[in-house]
Amino acid sequence: MNPEPFLQLDRVIHEKGRLTIMSMLAATPELSFTELRDGLGMTDGNLTTHIRTLQQSGYLSVTKSFQNNRPLTTCALTVAGRKAFTNYINLLEQIVRQTKPE
Amino acid sequence: MESNWAAEHLQVIRTLMERSALYRRALAPIMIFNGATGLIAALLGRTLNIGSPCSFILFWAGVGVVALAGSFLLVRRQALKESEPFWSPPTRRITLALLPPLVAGLMISAVIFGRAGSAPGNSDSLGGMLWLPLIWVVLYGCAFHAAGFFMPRGMRLFGWAFIMGGCGLFAVGFADGLRPLDYAHGVMGVFFGGLHLAYGVYLYFTEQRGNEP
Repeated sequence: MNPEPFLQLDRVIHEKGRLTIMSMLAATPELSFTELRDGLGMTDGNLTTHIRTLQQSGYLSVTKSFQNNRPLTTCALTVAGRKAFTNYINLLEQIVRQTKPE
Repeated sequence: MESNWAAEHLQVIRTLMERSALYRRALAPIMIFNGATGLIAALLGRTLNIGSPCSFILFWAGVGVVALAGSFLLVRRQALKESEPFWSPPTRRITLALLPPLVAGLMISAVIFGRAGSAPGNSDSLGGMLWLPLIWVVLYGCAFHAAGFFMPRGMRLFGWAFIMGGCGLFAVGFADGLRPLDYAHGVMGVFFGGLHLAYGVYLYFTEQRGNEP
């Protein structure tokens, strides 16, 4: 079996928590912090840590604003993040195809 | 097996993408509010003898505005409570899906309103336009069926109930013994009141459990 696709997997996205965040954001232009937290069942701290890591990798942008005098944090995938996510999916599909019995 | 985890990852990704694209607001209070509004309006319309085509259209347009405003406030309150944006991408998608059939219903009603108002002898009875409430029911069902692609699956069945119910009544036709006034407001009450209320009560007991990850 060719190990190349596995070696090419993006380690930032490959972590389970970050993969779930990327997956949710991939299907929608943006999500609020609470939508992500409730959708994934993560704690505030855990989610903040993962968001920071993704932000540092340039995969995710965070916008802070106010709505009705209440702070609102929204997250969205950047162009690089969307590209990295698509690439990750393609590699996963390659791995699945490789080991599929003929 | 290496492929197993990859396939599982893909499945998780797919599930999460589907979940994030779905509308997440609690629909039970909205349905119950609309159901109660529909039932009260039907009783009111019948009691007040709102029997001319123009007054019937105006009356139910007013009820529609009340239902829309109430739904808007309920959704907004939920969004504020959860510190989430009101005009979120799923809300936008649902609105866009709902619009075409609802606009069609509005346009048809406006034309009927204009013609009924000017046609002599046609302004005092609902008898000649009993198909209008059925058209509303069918179009409303189409709207919810379209929106159902971005909502929990039950919403599409809810849409089908309206479509099939409206078409069924159209096929059966109008019974001779019935008064047009009773029939028209009855149809509105049963569908826009009863069906909403029944689905709202069902959602009230099932929605929370169903939405859990």
